[in-house]
Amino acid sequence: MSPVSIAVEALSVFAGTKQLLGPITFNLAAGRALVIMGETGAGKSLLAQAILGTLPAGLHASGLIHLNGQRIDQLSPEERSSFWGRDVSILPQEPWLALDPLMQASRQVNEAHHLVAGLGSRAASVATRNDFTTLDLNGAERRLPGALSGGMAQRVAFAAATAADAPVLIADEPTKGLDAERSTKIIHLLAKKPDQGGTLLAITHEASVARRLGGDIMVLKSGKLVESGHTEKVLKNPAADYTQQLLDAEPQAWPKQPATPCGDILLSAENLCIWRGKKCLLEDFSLKLHANERIAISGPSGVGKTSLLDVLAGIRAPRQGQVKRMRSVAATGIQKLYQDPPAAFPGKVLLGKSLRDVARLHGVDWAVVTEYLSHLGIHPSLLERRPDSVSGGELQRISIARALTANPLVLLADEPTSRLDPITQRETLAMIADIATERGIAIVLVTHDLVIADRWADSHYQLQNTGA
Amino acid sequence: MIRSSGLWSALAGRASQAVLVAVVVGVVSFSMMQALPGDSAYRIAAGRYGYDMMDAASADVVRTELGLDKPTSVQLANWLGSLARLDLGKSAVTGNAVADELKVQLGHSLLLAGAGILVSLIIAVPIGIAAGLRPGGALDRITLGASIVLRAVPAFALGVLLMLALAVHIKLLPVAGFQSPKHLILPALTLGLGLAAVSSRVVRDAVSEAMAADWQLFSRTKGLSSGQTLRRHVLRNATLPVIAYIGVQLAYVIEGVVIVESVFAWPGIGHALVHAIFGRDVAMVQGTALALGLTYVVLNLIIDLCCHGIDPRRRSIT
Repeated sequence: MSPVSIAVEALSVFAGTKQLLGPITFNLAAGRALVIMGETGAGKSLLAQAILGTLPAGLHASGLIHLNGQRIDQLSPEERSSFWGRDVSILPQEPWLALDPLMQASRQVNEAHHLVAGLGSRAASVATRNDFTTLDLNGAERRLPGALSGGMAQRVAFAAATAADAPVLIADEPTKGLDAERSTKIIHLLAKKPDQGGTLLAITHEASVARRLGGDIMVLKSGKLVESGHTEKVLKNPAADYTQQLLDAEPQAWPKQPATPCGDILLSAENLCIWRGKKCLLEDFSLKLHANERIAISGPSGVGKTSLLDVLAGIRAPRQGQVKRMRSVAATGIQKLYQDPPAAFPGKVLLGKSLRDVARLHGVDWAVVTEYLSHLGIHPSLLERRPDSVSGGELQRISIARALTANPLVLLADEPTSRLDPITQRETLAMIADIATERGIAIVLVTHDLVIADRWADSHYQLQNTGA
Repeated sequence: MIRSSGLWSALAGRASQAVLVAVVVGVVSFSMMQALPGDSAYRIAAGRYGYDMMDAASADVVRTELGLDKPTSVQLANWLGSLARLDLGKSAVTGNAVADELKVQLGHSLLLAGAGILVSLIIAVPIGIAAGLRPGGALDRITLGASIVLRAVPAFALGVLLMLALAVHIKLLPVAGFQSPKHLILPALTLGLGLAAVSSRVVRDAVSEAMAADWQLFSRTKGLSSGQTLRRHVLRNATLPVIAYIGVQLAYVIEGVVIVESVFAWPGIGHALVHAIFGRDVAMVQGTALALGLTYVVLNLIIDLCCHGIDPRRRSIT
């Protein structure tokens, strides 16, 4: 029997008297993996924060927590922080934001080897160099986090977090916003932990991630345990409806959207070339977009998907080739949806005011806007809030309503659901498709998920790296 | 890859700014001197010979000698012409070359400004860091109150208060003048307290913002102690906005130098400017105003270079 790494008994998290999570009980032995699965808002991250002692101000936890045989829940914050990095490694949810923006990537790993693992400066440099080689990060040593891709930042954070080789690894949404190839890489790294006798606690909303990590699973909904057991068994034969919903929301399980009859040509692009600086991203790209048509564009990160949308929108001029907008389409007849909804709204302005401004600008009756909102399932009371006080899924649906207010004929959607959990993602994309069919709008969807592109769109363009 | 073109374009930008400042400051100070009531020839003559020793005849001599009877446009054109030859002219009162007077005074003023900024940093940085580590705590609220009071008191009033307290009452320091290093303390403290009132809040905001950043928590959870995180990550990130703010504050330093020097009879450029205005010494007014304006440009350039040095994002692209 291997020793127990994390033991949690009746762990609950409260905001004041309101219970947000729990009670949760589990024993996790060395050499095992436990996956916590649930949609956004299910309290998954609170569980990790309660174990670590990093709950945000205003929240408190109750229940017993044992780490490597030692009871830790009643220790002071300073004592609990002494376990970080040494007894338990924590992989951050937003690796880009977790790295110091002013420090070179390799130094952030090096300081963990030197100060946390206690290596001498020469040994720390060697260990850092090894990490960069193993994690396929060669050439990124001297880059600042702002110049790293999301996948690279994830691996740098992984190296820094695990430098002292703590026996327990906690990973919160390790695949968030990564494309298929990069999530496979990071899952592979995580899965090594239990294989080498360590312990892995992973938090995810994706059933595919849980399936690949194996071990045991706990499914949470609104902070309550829905079901638990062997990951493979639970995902094959879920006992709870909610687990089944999560599985249905996986793109692989989506029904193929019925093809729609196309209307007139609205927009055409001929022989486009797109460059970023001195690098040619895309050559000879042509496309004809008809009313009512759904087109998906996929490709690895950095291939120029977003730049292509900007060119189609007329925001950016192509280096070569041309984009023709038919006479029936006004300049504001092309609207964009953005990947990161909070970044697409002014942070300190109430949502209702943002929408009313757009309605006034385009001379649209407010009643029409409220109809869009109710169609999208947005309660009017949400408009009294600021963008940071609604969920990502709600905000993205409000941004769809905002785009529709401008009466678009073409909607360019840049990864509109990559930051949403699967159930919300499925609902949102289905909604966009419904509205488009209803109003004869043409949509270009940029996505990194090939399955979504295949299931959702009428036609699918796969962009490749030109390698230039 | 090091990008130096950004640096060069910044330098070129500041250089063209300097030319613009020279022309604008010259024209504006000239027109303001023209707009002052009274006959400047009389005032200059009084400055040269004393009020009791001058009369209409000596005023007329001054007028012809300095060309004050010529049309204003000609006087302005003459000044700009000699400025283009890097000649600042002669003081109407003392007859010495303006450039020579400025050389001495500018050194004194820079000493005072530097000491003032140093004092402000010695006060603002520790207080700001301590307040920023516990936003909303007792120290944060007390220092907020103190900084509002200090910023609300004008520099001349603060100077007089400090003079009364430290020089007159407990006779710790000399009241005013410029004989020993001790004379520097009161004016530098007056200037520094006014600067620290705001910059301590800027340090506090920068530190509390850095402490709330995701990378601060990640530095802790990867195993660094709170002290190591503060030294290695928080302080450097917090320094950037503070340095940039010191650049903004320079306007207050220049303004403060003029007032503080007058209060403490510090023989710097601000003191000279005020005297030149009283004496209608147009050449000195233009010279000192020009020197203050150019100092502002040069100090801003130094701030640019500091930010360039601290923030690696400005240097590297990949």
